[in-house]
Amino acid sequence: MSTTHDIAIIGGGIMGCATALRLAEVGMRTIVLDQGDLGLGASGVNAGTLSLQIKRVKLMPYALAGHREWEAMGVAVGFKKPGGYTLAFTAREAALLQERQSLKAQAGAPIRFVSIDELRKAEPNLAPGIVAASYCPEDGYANSSLTGRYYRLRMRAADIDVRERCPATKISQTSGGFRIETPQAPVKCVRLLIAAGGWIKPLAGQLGVDLPINVRVNTASVTERMKPLFSAVIGHATGLLTMKQKTDGTVLIGGGWQGRGTPQSGRGTVTMETVIPNLALAQFALPALGSARVTRCWTGFEANVPDFYPLAGQLPGVANAFVLGCVRGGFTIGPYIGRLMGDFILGRETELSLFDPGRDFNEELQ
Amino acid sequence: MIRLIRDRSTDIKRTRLLTFHFDGQPVQAHEGETVAVALLRAGQLTTRTAPNDQAPRGLFCCMGLCQECVVVIDGRVTEACRRIVTDGLVVEPTNGAP
Amino acid sequence: MTADCDIAVLGAGPAGANAAIQAATGGCSVVLLDEAAQPGGQVWRAKSTSILSAPANSESKAGDALRRAVNQSDITHHGSTRVWQIERVDDVWRLYLLQGNQTEKMTARALILATGAREFVHPIPGWTTPGVHGLAGATALFKDALILPGKNTVVAGAGPLAFFVASEIRRLGGQIAAVITPNSRSEWLRAIPAMSARPDLLARGATWVADLMTSGIPIHWRHAVTAVSGTSQVDAVHFQRVSPDWSPVDKVRTLNADSLCLGHGLIPDTQAAQLAGLELTYRAELGGWVARVAPDGITEVKNLFVCGDGAGILGAAAAVVQGRLAGLAAATGFGAQRSENLYQQLLSQHARAARFGRAATALALPRPGLNRVATPNTIICRCESLTLADIRDEIRTGATSTNAVKAGLRAGMGPCGGRYCQTAVSRLIEHTANLPEGSVAPPTPRPPLRPVPLSAMADDFNYDDLPISKPAPL
Repeated sequence: MSTTHDIAIIGGGIMGCATALRLAEVGMRTIVLDQGDLGLGASGVNAGTLSLQIKRVKLMPYALAGHREWEAMGVAVGFKKPGGYTLAFTAREAALLQERQSLKAQAGAPIRFVSIDELRKAEPNLAPGIVAASYCPEDGYANSSLTGRYYRLRMRAADIDVRERCPATKISQTSGGFRIETPQAPVKCVRLLIAAGGWIKPLAGQLGVDLPINVRVNTASVTERMKPLFSAVIGHATGLLTMKQKTDGTVLIGGGWQGRGTPQSGRGTVTMETVIPNLALAQFALPALGSARVTRCWTGFEANVPDFYPLAGQLPGVANAFVLGCVRGGFTIGPYIGRLMGDFILGRETELSLFDPGRDFNEELQ
Repeated sequence: MIRLIRDRSTDIKRTRLLTFHFDGQPVQAHEGETVAVALLRAGQLTTRTAPNDQAPRGLFCCMGLCQECVVVIDGRVTEACRRIVTDGLVVEPTNGAP
Repeated sequence: MTADCDIAVLGAGPAGANAAIQAATGGCSVVLLDEAAQPGGQVWRAKSTSILSAPANSESKAGDALRRAVNQSDITHHGSTRVWQIERVDDVWRLYLLQGNQTEKMTARALILATGAREFVHPIPGWTTPGVHGLAGATALFKDALILPGKNTVVAGAGPLAFFVASEIRRLGGQIAAVITPNSRSEWLRAIPAMSARPDLLARGATWVADLMTSGIPIHWRHAVTAVSGTSQVDAVHFQRVSPDWSPVDKVRTLNADSLCLGHGLIPDTQAAQLAGLELTYRAELGGWVARVAPDGITEVKNLFVCGDGAGILGAAAAVVQGRLAGLAAATGFGAQRSENLYQQLLSQHARAARFGRAATALALPRPGLNRVATPNTIICRCESLTLADIRDEIRTGATSTNAVKAGLRAGMGPCGGRYCQTAVSRLIEHTANLPEGSVAPPTPRPPLRPVPLSAMADDFNYDDLPISKPAPL
């Protein structure tokens, strides 16, 4: 007997899973499909930074709520809150830092500027030449690799149907909702949420909706274990560097440097033309890193729309279809906005407003 | 007992001996051999402890893949099976981290 | 885009060195890259400079001949060079090399991968004890430094390799406590017709076995080592009779020994091929996951060739011929004249050598019963000290891919990059989740191919050259 689910969620990343968990709380029959493993798309390969210093001003309330969610997930996702410093090495960077972090502080992030002395005392291994630094005690990180494991256990406990390595090959509208073809049995559902990150565009396209989604190919690298070198999350005024040393001693280095590839052509590949300056900047900021051996470099796809605000709401023109994704800083905000999305689908008032995917992306968001 | 494969060990001629240091102790080695081979000859089978369970580890794959024999030389993690010894070389175990 | 050379060859073993020689003969500019200082690969590995003189054997003679041939050719050989990244940029291959603590870059129009094999050692209780060496790994000790793995050694493994290792230990004056092999005598007898494709090699193998028998050294056929005792050194080696699928049966017997050479066959080293863009398929008879490669080394990617054990475990004899074929194919692509005669001759030579290789490989292919040797406390991932129970529990929560187990537990994220756990993890997932053999693929490959010092990757850096991108929107 083939059953009809109340909702099918395509994409088992943080946002899809968090939405599923919210919906399952009220007994919705939910199924989550992922073309790969749960939480191993962007959710599982990003650098795991939870930093209010790199969040957009208008998204700050969502980011603050996201931080609370991650803190509650705790050790199961490797959550740590050692605070974070953002460094400026030039006068221009210092000005940039001053301007941007002040606005973020006004938006509610507990960011302050610190003296170089204070910075040195906290992080003696940082390079000389730092001219300004900001600090946020709320900053930290989670281990993104554990995202899949965390949600797999949560979904299992909530008795949510999950199909991994099960891509949606075709979506069609039926009288009662949607029919999704997969390599396994087809899925019939009343409602549909597309939360497939870099793969949203072709999926929405199957329902006749053309979303103006672009994809960035972010690169990260990690070293083998090192003796303790620094404890805070370290960022750079230009955003070109983030790094953190995990409790196991490995140092994870990111900064939004771009690799190659498209979601349609596989997992993306790193290119050393961008990895090399990323690592060079890391070594510039923390010279002792030079003796570390790099064990892996990889990429993840980060989707965005022209205004760089999330897609979170009704899929334009398709009843009972929803879309969630393209959140800049999606790792931080994901668990929270997923919960809001669940509320939205349930017809409830959401705690903070969502981001209508039918908006004009070229106009300033109100 | 008939030996079809002869013992040819006495026909092997090696280079002069030199001395390096592992974990503070002097170790003899033939010029041109790797740190790993010299430690094996010296009976120093344990070259580090594993980071998670502190269990003893030593040379395993012998070809620069498994990373079990890594030691610290000049502040850098180095595969002992690929590093040629030199007179007076100071080699330390990694022990835990890295 | 112009390239530094026509053809770059990765790996200077029998396949790679012969590919390079053949391509250079065809008039191509060829760069031969290898981790070892001298050509030879693992099988014909050169002696270290610590050896002033030593008696020759078949491997050293073959290796010396190969090294002479490379020296006499027009090949540019870079030894002690690690290729750590492969990129395809504007129709040329860009390689990142580690030489000493420096990164060098080079480009080539075509790439021949001859990365050979790595060893599969199935985890058994105590296999992380110092004094336990890989069976193939131990041969590096004999060939390079002419040193023994211990004073009294148990040699355990399948196929011809166990007997070769035993013979080398004997030649170097060592003592063997026993040879323990899961193969039965009748399996060997059944393999003889196929192996008689290379009567010379078959005869050598027969001598190794006969020497052990006439010298009174026990050979335990259809047995396997199932545990090692000792903490900081091997105190004893435990073994059991095994069924035809290699499941341990009967009582445990014990041998006193201070060292163990342990192996369960060879695996094609495919990570470079994956980085170069090749998909893998499971071919049990070739040693596991391999790229699709024609007998002449041609692959699905233009100007990319694979040859030797990295394309499937067929042994050195087949590797030599496939190397020449790949070199010929690559050179032909750049306009070299190909002698049809030579090509056909090589193809038939390869078929003959491959027949021998397949028979030898078949003896060593790990069988399902091996999965019963590890206990819940047995370490599977050496880098992270993860046990069978750790990994099995993870699989049982639904992590049924190597990527999922890697992400959840770090099995494969340590410095070895999963080279010494991923085959066991794949097998464990298949076994635990009741999936068919060969259905669980290795994890997504990530560069660098070897750990590389950050300072070497980072290169020279001028802060003012930082590309200043538009800051992220506020």
